[in-house]
Amino acid sequence: MSDGKAFSIDLGRLKSREKDRSPQAIERVERAGEELGFVSRDGQKRRGRKPSPRTGQVHAKVLPGISEEIAIEAKRRGVQQGVLIEEAWTLYKEKSGI
Amino acid sequence: MPTIVIASPKGGAGKSTTAVLLGTELAHAGANIVMLDCDPNHSLTLWADRAPLPDRIRVLSNVTESDIVRTIKQHDTDGQIVVVDLEGVASRLVSRAISQADLVITPMRATTLDATIGVRALQLIAEEEEALDRKIPHSVVFTMTKAIRSKQHSGIAESLAGQGIDLIDPPLMERAAFSALFEFGGNLRNMPAQGNMDGAIENAALFAQAVYKRLAQGV
Repeated sequence: MSDGKAFSIDLGRLKSREKDRSPQAIERVERAGEELGFVSRDGQKRRGRKPSPRTGQVHAKVLPGISEEIAIEAKRRGVQQGVLIEEAWTLYKEKSGI
Repeated sequence: MPTIVIASPKGGAGKSTTAVLLGTELAHAGANIVMLDCDPNHSLTLWADRAPLPDRIRVLSNVTESDIVRTIKQHDTDGQIVVVDLEGVASRLVSRAISQADLVITPMRATTLDATIGVRALQLIAEEEEALDRKIPHSVVFTMTKAIRSKQHSGIAESLAGQGIDLIDPPLMERAAFSALFEFGGNLRNMPAQGNMDGAIENAALFAQAVYKRLAQGV
């Protein structure tokens, strides 16, 4: 079996041409490709809000004034009411030594 | 250093085999090679995982539409040749890769079906040349050819040559050693003998030499 070099490469003879990598150039290339059916095949990312990791549920009834206060505070902070309950539970555990 | 893009929207045309033969032969001749595996079938990566990579070769896997231009730019530097193995479909990834090429090679089996679908890559190159206002050198290499040339092969070759398409000589013949690269990894020189190894090595080396000449002189 032959194992010698069939030929040698003179790296100095190899040149890279200047290429336009601007977004405008890439857009032109894509438009040209799309007309020939060379379209995006990458999987599309799922749209919309991601599902909440909060899947547990509590069944609590509280006095009307308290439920209103919780709703207002959650809205003010831009969080779900469950977040306030989680924080309250953390404080309760610290206080009770659970 | 040049970027060589192996492109054909036709699956099974021999893109990955062409990429591996070209990369390993150019590396054997002294060049540093970065091979980009853009094929969701991960053919190059499968080859790379079979055995330790030959000297002077690196393989980057999972290159996608969103990072192909950036990845080529990152590796298109002095001292190394980038070989891009694309997926066998018409996709935006193919358009983007071709836009960054110094040479596009379209492997094509000498059949009417391969030629018909492979020509779409040539049409895309022509459109991109116009869009970018630069020449993108490109060539066709026939793959899996037989020792005796068929009438169909001759007809397709004449038709392409008549349209001014550059045909790489020699074509890549159908050889057990070429397909065995994906079984054993490495290169033709260190794999267990498969059929006529001297013939396979000579074929691959002359093909790589023909590509090198095009890179050095411009097609």
